Amino acid sequence: MAYEQSVYLTGDHELVEEFGLLCYQAGYRVTGTAHPGPVRRKLPVFFRKSTLVPRSATVAMELTNVRTDLKRKNLKFLDGALPKGALLLSSSVTVAAHEQASWIAHPERLIGIAALPTFGGRKLIEMAPAPQTGKDALARSQAFFTRLNKEVAVIQDRVGMVLPRMVCMVINEACFAAGENVATPADIDTAMKLGTNYPSGPIEWANAIGFHQVTAVLEALYRDLGEERYRIAPLLRHFAGGNRWWET
Amino acid sequence: MGTGIAYAAALASMDALLYDVTAEALERGFGKLRADIRQSVEKGKLSPERSEEILSRIRTTGALADLAPCGAVIEAIVEDLAVKQELFRTLSGICASDAILATNTSSLSVTAIASGVSSPERVVGMHFFNPAHIMKLVEIVEGHQTSPDALAAARGLAEAMGKKPVMAKDTPGFIVNRVARPFYGEALRLLGEGVTTAEEIDRIARLEGNFKMGPFELMDLIGIDINFAVTKSMYEQTFGEPRYRPHIIQQQMVHAGLLGRKTKRGFYSYPP
Repeated sequence: MAYEQSVYLTGDHELVEEFGLLCYQAGYRVTGTAHPGPVRRKLPVFFRKSTLVPRSATVAMELTNVRTDLKRKNLKFLDGALPKGALLLSSSVTVAAHEQASWIAHPERLIGIAALPTFGGRKLIEMAPAPQTGKDALARSQAFFTRLNKEVAVIQDRVGMVLPRMVCMVINEACFAAGENVATPADIDTAMKLGTNYPSGPIEWANAIGFHQVTAVLEALYRDLGEERYRIAPLLRHFAGGNRWWET
Repeated sequence: MGTGIAYAAALASMDALLYDVTAEALERGFGKLRADIRQSVEKGKLSPERSEEILSRIRTTGALADLAPCGAVIEAIVEDLAVKQELFRTLSGICASDAILATNTSSLSVTAIASGVSSPERVVGMHFFNPAHIMKLVEIVEGHQTSPDALAAARGLAEAMGKKPVMAKDTPGFIVNRVARPFYGEALRLLGEGVTTAEEIDRIARLEGNFKMGPFELMDLIGIDINFAVTKSMYEQTFGEPRYRPHIIQQQMVHAGLLGRKTKRGFYSYPP
């Protein structure tokens, strides 16, 4: 496989790994760094770990959802290090794209994307341009995702975007129900799969996505929309803290 | 839905007795069941012999007293608390003391339905999903006074019907109607906030979320009025929990008579 272009990735480990694989499979050289997640593991062999952004990088992806301070630091670094005209695709599920664009010197190249663990391998990706985003950047981002074999849905720039907001709220409700002993987590998963044809049970989903990621999305929604409905279920926060099921 | 539950019981080789207050309603339900079974035979899903066997297992009656020998009674009447309470009071006087009295309610409290019954410990929730002869799930709902024996019997009955029972406490929406609320509620809010269109939200749910149907397609299928009523009932039963607050878009569609597939217009149009 001839590598013509490279993609530089930074952010939460599980997302860097997931999107790194997609880029690699589409023929890009993959370089970058990742913040360790709750499960510590090495990045795959195709991933070149480096803090130097290659001159061949046409696209950078910033995939931090959990820590806004690190996200801001990474974006500033990428904005300064990227070649002129390179795209900056940044997860905007916990910080709106317009806010992220206000942190950097070249906001016209930043576009928000819905990056949440396990969503990367799906057929579609949500993209949210900021008001500062250039038209050319939007068109080139769409072409990039077409190369990654994805359809694109362009939506308005809002924290939580579409699917992360819906799925995280379903998970939150399931955690409220489990925490109140309405049913066991296993029965909740079974009920949602058999009763409503959900592709996964909400607790299984939370395990796959990561409780800390779900919590980060809900915290952002609570902060952004200021509504009580987005408060986090105690059980979800308990799991996000790395704790196990309560022993009685 | 009672007919569908009787069909599920007959499919599992159980005898079922269908009761309705009016002979017309009984014949309408049973006639539809016969038509469904005939269709299954035509499609090759059921053999003619099997269809005969299933139909022979279902009998109908217009007299409540005929339910006396039944080991379990599953109520699936109108979602009206007073009407259900009255029926359960009558049933408790007719049925044997060891018979379980189950309600298929999806939105009312099992505890409230059991109140006024002389033996509330045998009242239990058995919430089937439509179509009941196909959908595997049954929520077994424990009212405040439901006995462990009644709970175990309801679970055993669901299993014998080839279903997958899950156990739930008697709280608004039980499991499915409760946990599914944000799927619709957030979708309506996203639409209301102008984040994107209903069509795009559905496309995102299907292609990014792997859902079989998007929230608006589902609301059209369920009936926007039904979905709105469930949300409203959850909101009221929880004394105004903000997570269940209904959305004005849904209310306006109900007022406008745009109820989804059944009225040919909802979030989508369905040409006749």
